[in-house]
Amino acid sequence: MAVHNGRAEFAAGTADAGDTIISVRHLSKKFGTHEVLKDIDFDVHKGDVTTVIGASGSGKSTLLRCINLLETPSSGQVLYHGDDVMGKDMNVPGYRSHVGMVFQSFNLFFNKNVLDNCMVGQIRVLKRPKEQAYEKALKYLGKVGMLPYIKAKPRQLSGGQKQRVAIARALAMDPEVLLFDEPTSALDPEMVGEVLDVMSDLAREGMTMIVVTHEMAFAKQVSSQVVYMSDGVICEQGRPEQIFGNPQNEKTKEFLARFLH
Amino acid sequence: MNQFAKLGTDIASLWAKYGGTYMGGIYRTLILATVGTAIGCLIGFLCGIVQTIPVYQNDSVIKKIILKIVKVILRIYVEVFRGTPMILQAVFIYYGLPYFSNNSIQFDGKWLVSIIVVSINTGAYMTESMRGGIISVDPGQTEGAMAIGMTHFQTMTSVVLPQAIRNIMPQIGNNFIINVKDTSVMFIIGFTDFFAVHKSVVGATFTYFPSAAIEMIGYLTMTLLASWLLHILEKKMDGKSDYELVAVDQLTLPAGVYHVGSGKSGKDLSSDERAVLQEEKARKTADKAIIAAERTADEDGKGVRRDGRT
Ligand SMILES: Nc1ncnc2c1ncn2[C@@H]1O[C@H](COP(=O)(O)OP(=O)(O)OP(=O)(O)O)[C@@H](O)[C@H]1O
Ligand SMILES: [Mg+2]
Repeated sequence: MAVHNGRAEFAAGTADAGDTIISVRHLSKKFGTHEVLKDIDFDVHKGDVTTVIGASGSGKSTLLRCINLLETPSSGQVLYHGDDVMGKDMNVPGYRSHVGMVFQSFNLFFNKNVLDNCMVGQIRVLKRPKEQAYEKALKYLGKVGMLPYIKAKPRQLSGGQKQRVAIARALAMDPEVLLFDEPTSALDPEMVGEVLDVMSDLAREGMTMIVVTHEMAFAKQVSSQVVYMSDGVICEQGRPEQIFGNPQNEKTKEFLARFLH
Repeated sequence: MNQFAKLGTDIASLWAKYGGTYMGGIYRTLILATVGTAIGCLIGFLCGIVQTIPVYQNDSVIKKIILKIVKVILRIYVEVFRGTPMILQAVFIYYGLPYFSNNSIQFDGKWLVSIIVVSINTGAYMTESMRGGIISVDPGQTEGAMAIGMTHFQTMTSVVLPQAIRNIMPQIGNNFIINVKDTSVMFIIGFTDFFAVHKSVVGATFTYFPSAAIEMIGYLTMTLLASWLLHILEKKMDGKSDYELVAVDQLTLPAGVYHVGSGKSGKDLSSDERAVLQEEKARKTADKAIIAAERTADEDGKGVRRDGRT
């Protein structure tokens, strides 16, 4: 497990630098009377790969969606470099452009081809010149191995290919953090690997990521911090070797037992 | 059989005498239907877009109130103009405006009133079509756009509207065809469209059936032509159904792209670079192997790994 330790050391090194990008403070979210998130607290430092695990309905997606304000938190704060993202003078679209998101259902733009999917945000949101946007798009499409498909429309791609384009689209914005909401759950088993490979590469290069996943092997292998959620609260969080090797909370033990015998 | 021959000669003689009059009617009908549909679509697009502006919890109260009022007004507009006959709307506006303004607003031409009535009538229908077209675009794409920082306006113009408009093309065609036929009700305010020509011609000649035959052929020609043009336009909007794979080495790759098969070959690299690359490669392979092994182990387990996910 030398590789694993290397990753962990790397992450620890940057985390100690105290470069906090996102802090979630006492976050709660209610849908009507249903409290889906309760008093959530955690920090994301530069270079961290935080995986969020937990049973279905425990609030993992809602947590990610609250972080980039696709859902409005009911109370508590999300701080981006110390600034409250729900504050009056926060430019929400601007903030979102720094926090990329990759969805379970890809959410590519169906009226645009692969290349344009990766360019439109750069041009319209970041106001980059066309040539620069083109270069960036090619760079990241190359990274995810989708260069040959730049002229294809999303409906002409397989699930794994769509998800790789979605990752390139997010990367092309040069985000500081990338949020992944079960990026492989909608994929056929044989395509899961290609997407996880891309994500592992990103993690190794120091990309800051928050990944909601049911891929325990990936969580164990790649993350620097694991958050286990149950019924809207964080039951346990810590290093992967700690959570997977020596969980303290009864619920965590029970949950992991279902996955790892 | 000689009935048909007779019809043929009747039509021919009618056309010889009144061909120009019929063509004038066709011309006026086409212009009115085209302009009315175009303006109506524009009205419908705008109203449909306004109807679907989202309201966020943290929007200011003033914005919320104004939006609410505007949406109610648009709702009333749609219900009133969809819910009353166009012939009545024509009368209402043609005589109503002078009535209420003590004759300070008068219409000297039938054109203006006709175009206004057809436009706002079409607009009412298109508002609903457009609203439906916007709503039917997968909301996931809107979230995808918002997640890369697009504003509502940017999301609409880059992602939603192009798809919404494509989706409602058949309705636009429908409206145009309906307008070609239904503008005939404008006779009520004295607008001489294609059908009004029929009435004036038979008033003079009493050749009811041959003239009706000319009208039938005329209307069908117009509507079939419209269908065909629209079909071509839709095809064009859809683009190609296949795509070319692009050869990677034909792209001008920006610096720093290392892609399988496109990277530098070993001999172009300095020994340092080579060492780094090799180390990288070894790490990747090791990682992948471990992840793959654990995934298989999980799957071999009790088959519960995929339980409990949506
Ligand atoms: N828009 C919504 N309105 C009402 N309730 C919602 C909404 N979105 C989520 N919920 C509820 O919030 C709870 C948490 O949902 P969430 O999607 O965050 O779970 P999850 O942990 O991501 O689950 P999964 O692993 O199945 O994706 C669920 O009980 C769900 O029914
Ligand atoms: Mg979820």
